[in-house]
Amino acid sequence: MSAVFKNVMDAIDIETFLVCSSESEGKELAIRMVKDMGIQDADIVFIQYQGPGARVRVRGYVHKPGANYGWLNSKT
Amino acid sequence: MQQKPILLAPLDPVHDIGLKIMKRSLDEAGFETILLPPDYKAGEIINTAMGNDVDTILISRTLGYGVADLLANFVDLAEAAGIRDKVKLAIGGMAVRPELAAELGFDAGFGPGTKPEELLAFIENKEYVPDKSSAVKEKSNLTEGYTYQYKHQGMERMLDQIVDSIMNWAEGKTSPAVKRAAIREKMLINQGEAENLELLSQYLGYSDEMVQDFYNDRKIPDKCRPLGQDEIDSLERYVEATKERMSAQKLQHVKDNPVVFIQYGTGCPFMDIAHIKTSEAWGADGAVHFDPSWAARTEGFLSGYLTHEQDGSIITLENLAQTKKHLQPSTIWQVRAHRGLNTPETVLLAGHLGADMTKINIVYGSLGAGTDPERMTVDAIAAIKYAAKFGMPFDIVTNEELCGVPAHKAFAGMLIVNHLARRLGASTVLQPLFCYSPEMMINGGMDDNYIDFNAAKIMALRQVIDAPIWPGAPIGFLTQDEDRVQSAMTTALHASLAASLNVDAISIASSDEAYSGGPIIASSRIDTLRATKEAFRFFGSAGIQPTVKAEEMVSTLVSGIEQVLQNVLDKGCFVQALYDGILGSKEDGAYPGRSGRGTITIE
Ligand code: B12
Repeated sequence: MSAVFKNVMDAIDIETFLVCSSESEGKELAIRMVKDMGIQDADIVFIQYQGPGARVRVRGYVHKPGANYGWLNSKT
Repeated sequence: MQQKPILLAPLDPVHDIGLKIMKRSLDEAGFETILLPPDYKAGEIINTAMGNDVDTILISRTLGYGVADLLANFVDLAEAAGIRDKVKLAIGGMAVRPELAAELGFDAGFGPGTKPEELLAFIENKEYVPDKSSAVKEKSNLTEGYTYQYKHQGMERMLDQIVDSIMNWAEGKTSPAVKRAAIREKMLINQGEAENLELLSQYLGYSDEMVQDFYNDRKIPDKCRPLGQDEIDSLERYVEATKERMSAQKLQHVKDNPVVFIQYGTGCPFMDIAHIKTSEAWGADGAVHFDPSWAARTEGFLSGYLTHEQDGSIITLENLAQTKKHLQPSTIWQVRAHRGLNTPETVLLAGHLGADMTKINIVYGSLGAGTDPERMTVDAIAAIKYAAKFGMPFDIVTNEELCGVPAHKAFAGMLIVNHLARRLGASTVLQPLFCYSPEMMINGGMDDNYIDFNAAKIMALRQVIDAPIWPGAPIGFLTQDEDRVQSAMTTALHASLAASLNVDAISIASSDEAYSGGPIIASSRIDTLRATKEAFRFFGSAGIQPTVKAEEMVSTLVSGIEQVLQNVLDKGCFVQALYDGILGSKEDGAYPGRSGRGTITIE
């Protein structure tokens, strides 16, 4: 996981277009992409699949409310 | 004043608008300028500079392609011509990054969004100090200038009678919440430890077991966590540092209204503060505290700094005080009290801590939020008295509409609570829903557009009474989906309609409002704040025109409200009317709440 993530207030949303052949494939790819970044708490916020692929908004929570926030302790 | 002329030249095949903006402000400031047309070669620009004995050259470049080579070449030629050391050389434009300009040996680089004042400061060798005067926000008072006079005298007479009967009914009745609030009032002024302990034990006598266990055995409720001192200290540092760097934007363009509220309640007071600071920075004028639904069904409050992983942030004196302390002075702070078993005490705490507003609605609290109607009425009267005592206005939110109750019934309820509040000396704000209401989803009344019915609601209320209106909560509810663009867009459109109707305030959602898989996040709040700002810019003092259908809807609404008030009068008792579905029936989707049932006692 990138050290920069400690500066993420709560979550990252990645919005992109994935070339894929079904909505479920799009979901699976999107979640995997976030997990590959080292963020386990990943979820699809929005997905719309049409023939060419899927428009996705996939979210990875870095700091959920109540957790220990990296940005509170960070000096930056 | 500078003597020699300033040369402005687009080093670009076409783009020169930005440069012309700069020229205008230089001219206005009294400088002599020479502007070249686009598509000149570097050599031609330098020749012009030499031929006119200028001492400043301002280049503009928009196209990103080959920008580094082009600019480097320009500097080389200027050096070769022997003028580099004799002139001030700056570059601006969409393709310019200050770092690049510095690297290439320009005296300054001005990127996208440059203000003419920045250039003027550079020319006059001054440090650029951003003018923050436009960012100094004043706190708005939503109720100012309203008379609360009725324009519909028939309704005023009915409301008078209904409120008389409510006051008669409530005479001598009390509840555990009313008692706790009275005890809390003493605790808030009392300093003595022994007395406080005695007061606490009285307080616990009117509280639920969970609250008793918390105080007696330090048993922390499930999923809750007390925040440590080190965490509190680092929050202080974080907020202080943030405040120093902060300047708040203004969302409104030409009008002062509507002021824009965000709603917070992430579960964690720290995350709340982080979200509030972010929202303030991006222009929010107010923030509404959301408490968790379990707390609304619990008799009594916990204490200390508490966080939990659920929706809504726990109300404790300390949590609220912490939030309040970190707000911008201009931020309107509202603490909701409208629906649960702690209504009077919530209003008391809010008032004590200096909140600007609270939220009370007997009808929503008892038909949509699970509190027993009898209990809700007794508690609300006590709560309204506290609101009046603190001079703290409250809004009357008609969220029962979200359960399916038709607007005319919800409005009748709102007007009753409003009239009761005025009788008790409090100021109010009417809060109609401004969304795609379930009533209309079912009967198809909004199949053509989202404008007519929302506009009709505002117009109908204005036909009845001269009172402030704050549509919510939030606007565009049930039109948002999980997509960022769609939800920011629909929020902005509803904000435009609200602005066009000249209402006093709106509450907006984030662009992840419709996502139920996890907490709302800060960047999504910025999406809708930015979208709202853009909508205000787009419409300015222009407006949105409803169709003729809106007028028909207005008269249907007004006569509907009248009929419901008559039905309440015929029933003879407002509380019984709540139980019997006159202000929203089971068929509509309203269910008299059970929480707190049987707890009313006679003093
Ligand atoms: C208007 C415009 C045009 C107009 C230009 C008219 C004119 N007289 O300027 C026309 C229609 C002619 C045009 C044409 C082209 N355009 Co054009 N155009 C734009 C557009 C819409 C706006 C640019 C603009 O003027 N913004 C408003 C000004 C006020 O902003 P600004 O320039 O950034 O200026 C500010 C700051 O940068 C700074 N500043 C600017 N200069 C200076 C100088 C100094 C000294 C200082 C201090 C500050 C400063 O201060 C200003 C105020 O804050 C943009 C896209 C967009 N939406 O932004 C595309 C854009 C710039 N164009 C683009 C392109 C590609 C072209 C074409 C090449 C397309 C083509 N292949 O045909 C053609 C040019 C063809 C040709 N003949 O060579 C691209 C550039 C992409 C890139 N990677 O470089 C853009 C970004 C659109 C896009 N996304 O594709 N364009």
